[in-house]
Amino acid sequence: MKRKRDTLRVCLAASAGGHITQLLRLSESWKGYEVFCVTTTAVVTKKLGDYARVYVVGECNREHPLRVLRVLVKCMTVAFGERPDVVISTGAAAGCIMCFLCKLCGAKVIWLDSITNVEKMSLSGRMVRRIADLCLVQWPELVEKYNGVEYKGSVI
Amino acid sequence: MIFLTVGTQFPFDRLVKAADRAIEAGKLDEEICAQVGDSSYRPRCFEAVSHMEKHLFDECVHKASAIIGHAGMGTITTALDQDKPLLVMPRLRKYREAVNDHQLAIARKFEKLGHILVAYDAEELPAKIEALKSFVPRKRKAQPGQVTERISRFLDGLSGSENGPTKSRDLSSMD
Repeated sequence: MKRKRDTLRVCLAASAGGHITQLLRLSESWKGYEVFCVTTTAVVTKKLGDYARVYVVGECNREHPLRVLRVLVKCMTVAFGERPDVVISTGAAAGCIMCFLCKLCGAKVIWLDSITNVEKMSLSGRMVRRIADLCLVQWPELVEKYNGVEYKGSVI
Repeated sequence: MIFLTVGTQFPFDRLVKAADRAIEAGKLDEEICAQVGDSSYRPRCFEAVSHMEKHLFDECVHKASAIIGHAGMGTITTALDQDKPLLVMPRLRKYREAVNDHQLAIARKFEKLGHILVAYDAEELPAKIEALKSFVPRKRKAQPGQVTERISRFLDGLSGSENGPTKSRDLSSMD
């Protein structure tokens, strides 16, 4: 079920710290579209002050399955409530979760693997790559390692 | 003032302790401002807070003559953006300081490019602190333009407009 909208609804999903910093470097690309953000700690919400809706879902990583579950539930509420048309993420775990959930809701997925992944793509990136509609990496040598990924330069 | 920052997701006692020891040994006579996350080690030679509001964090970076931190991309980016000399110690998976060794990989890469200094373990820290005093980081020229353009093109393709966002698009026809 899709509702009529005037413009694309874009979900920006990234963990606090380097992930969100890298994502925000792309801010020119979604100018004019309806945007909401999903991040992991409240500390960065001020940084995201320009965006109308910011959801804080909490930190999680693969070492803490229970926390992942809690974040998953929060992300589900956001994804199913907002039903974005596109999700753009730089990771990490929470971004990855948002990509899969939004894909389930019919959204297109754009993944930009974090610049920290020099020798291989992040675990999240390798998973999201399978469902991504546009998958970008920030080191040229990674393009040879993975099918379907593109290199267009780095944001840092 | 030297700003010590270790990020927030995991503790990083190894760095806080090594920095504390280095100061105790007289390696740094400057004032220290420290953000140490959930690290349980309590430094003897300087005051530390676990978390910092963004504006306080920015202020510390701005005032700092140099930064010592983990090799988190947020820290590296901040330092490079403001031309601050940065010394990092990468978090390592074997000590459960991170879920993988990506900090080691990025530290090596950026060290090779002349952007940062790296102490690969606590023993190396004092010598690297000495080097930090005269270190001039190589500027990094990022090219987000092409990445932005690629994403922009993708989004415009979805919204069905070559010239950017439209205001009268019915997305129900998209799929």
